Amino acid sequence: MSRRAHRKPSPALWLAFFAAFSLLGGLGAFFFQKDGDPYRTVERLKPEDYYENANSLKGNTYQVEGTIANSLGWSQEKGRLFSFRVQHGGRDRPLPLLIPPRFREINLQKGQKYRLKVRVNDAALLEVEEMSKA
Amino acid sequence: MGFSSRIGDFFVVAFPADVRILWDVLSLDSLELSLPASERPLLSDINLHLPGGHFGAIVGPSGCGKSTLLKTIAGILPHTAGTIRWDGRNLDERDLAPHELGYVPQFTCAQPRLTVRENLAYAARLRRSGSAAEIAELVEQIEAETGLADLHDRRAGVLSGGQLRRLGLAMELTTSPSLFLADEVTSGLDPKSEEEITLLLQGLARQPGRLVLLVTHSLRFLDRYDSITVLTGGRLAFCSRPTDLCGYFGANSPEEIYPLLAQRDPANWGEEWVSSPEELGFEAEAVVEEIATEMTRPETGVSAQLPGLVSQTTTWFGRRLKLFFRDPAQAVLQLALLLVFPAVVTLFAWNGLPNVKNMTMSPATNAFQQLKDALDFTSQSAKISTLVSGLAMFQVILLALMGSNNAAREVVGDRAILEKEKLAGLRPAAALLGMIGFLSLLVLVQSGWMTLFVRAVGQFPGDLFAQFLPFALVTAAVTSLCLGISSWTSSSEQASLGSLYLVGFQLPLSGAILALPEVLGWVVRPWISAYWAWSGYLQTLRDTRFYDLVRAVTETPLAGSEISAWMLTLHLVLGLICAFFGIRRSDWR
Repeated sequence: MSRRAHRKPSPALWLAFFAAFSLLGGLGAFFFQKDGDPYRTVERLKPEDYYENANSLKGNTYQVEGTIANSLGWSQEKGRLFSFRVQHGGRDRPLPLLIPPRFREINLQKGQKYRLKVRVNDAALLEVEEMSKA
Repeated sequence: MGFSSRIGDFFVVAFPADVRILWDVLSLDSLELSLPASERPLLSDINLHLPGGHFGAIVGPSGCGKSTLLKTIAGILPHTAGTIRWDGRNLDERDLAPHELGYVPQFTCAQPRLTVRENLAYAARLRRSGSAAEIAELVEQIEAETGLADLHDRRAGVLSGGQLRRLGLAMELTTSPSLFLADEVTSGLDPKSEEEITLLLQGLARQPGRLVLLVTHSLRFLDRYDSITVLTGGRLAFCSRPTDLCGYFGANSPEEIYPLLAQRDPANWGEEWVSSPEELGFEAEAVVEEIATEMTRPETGVSAQLPGLVSQTTTWFGRRLKLFFRDPAQAVLQLALLLVFPAVVTLFAWNGLPNVKNMTMSPATNAFQQLKDALDFTSQSAKISTLVSGLAMFQVILLALMGSNNAAREVVGDRAILEKEKLAGLRPAAALLGMIGFLSLLVLVQSGWMTLFVRAVGQFPGDLFAQFLPFALVTAAVTSLCLGISSWTSSSEQASLGSLYLVGFQLPLSGAILALPEVLGWVVRPWISAYWAWSGYLQTLRDTRFYDLVRAVTETPLAGSEISAWMLTLHLVLGLICAFFGIRRSDWR
């Protein structure tokens, strides 16, 4: 064991230390971000495809992110119908969004941003299967 | 009683029924200490050989290297050439064990707010293992030995200079060291106190196998020492009996020696001493006496083994807690911050958070009404989101300030004592764990009270624990980063300034007020604790309209709760690792 006065941390140790910090930070960001996107395996809906032929998309599941706009209608059995504005290709595109009654607890307001997993239902509306705030 | 004779590095000692060979306990051979930036070495070609049971003085004019030599022997300063041997062992290969070395520096190592007995008890408990009863008995014995028994309940801060030096010596005796080094412990004392301390040290040197070396300016009481070592300009000019001192230099009195030294180059004095035709030996009687006492050495009741990590940690923690409550200014300041900071936050929401008026969602309303709605909503959004986001960031910044106040002086404020205690065997990890224990209490109280108070007055919605977590983590992270700063700076002012900058940059770089350019944001945000705490806190409002409004107005992306907690934990660990290495490094001044 050398004398006390000779004990000093080497610059290499500091470099390794900061590299480890950056690596851990990066790994954390990677894993938690992955974990924070619950619909990452679901295809993103392109509004153009929907506008072009919504019927052809019936039964398909997509993810979509946008802002609640106007309330278009309400039925106790079917749920709430909204216009939902999605940014795509630099444009703001409205889509019809049906929120089934099982989500009635959620206080939906104009301007709220949501990330949704939707299914194109038999009426060619985007019916929400899962939703979380963006 | 017996006979002794010196042959080279050895003493041959003969008793009527036994013959023994005793070697010098301390040997310095061609010792040199140079600084990279300095042309002249601080110490050069020092050859010194001293036996056990010996009381030696190191004297010389100011700046001659007396204290430097003592620190080099202690291992505080790294010698650049030569060897130091203790009891035949090369110290470069195996350093002095903490219990072997007693080092009394020029400054006081006692905590002024603790009593004499408490200082001694804590010193003993940090340096050696033993039951509470054994430690108490040892402390009483040392008090009696050093004449401190009548002062045992007096605080160190009110002791006189002589009493304080006595306490410093007593603290070193808790491990009964065999090498006892005292640096200028008689400086500034009146002649009576100086004589008392000198006599005390002389008495300590008569313990078996112990070598006591005292660096002193004073040339009084030189006859009390077994040897006098004279240094000049980092060179050894003389080392022998006090009776030979004046004769060697051709002086009538010791006071004439310093002017004589100044008349010649230090190298000449060094060469003259090396080529001195007659090696002046030490008193044979002292060596014989040492052997005799060694043979009848009594066993002490308390083991000189270092206490374990846990024991040192709990001792350090207990003393820190006691010091905190013994310092009214510190306790009042902490209490004031604890009460005032949350109160300041609630000034902005003393009546609770405002209600959010929602926009009409019906497409049937006319365009003018829709436009008016949108305008009202935008105006309200700006106000409420600024309030909610601002209150969150305000709490974070104030907690960060408390964190910086907690730790900025924690290491550097008592650095000298910490260095001394490390030399005496305190593990850096134990000191750090003790600090973590103490600071954790502050962090929990500060973040807990801030969360509860602001939440109650501002009527914040959301989960209580989820809101407490980012606040506790950011306080802990900033506290630990400031502890790191404290352990790497050389003054309290530097540490305070560094910690203040750390907190000051949090607000602008968090993006909570003004969004940073995208690339800069990605580079900077990982390092900004306030950003992660702010994001983590706002995520707890996710199910409320407040979150929507903040999201609608703030351009800075909000991180999720998990990644926020992860990054704050990394900051906390980063600070603690920096603090560990900072505490571990040698920083004697």
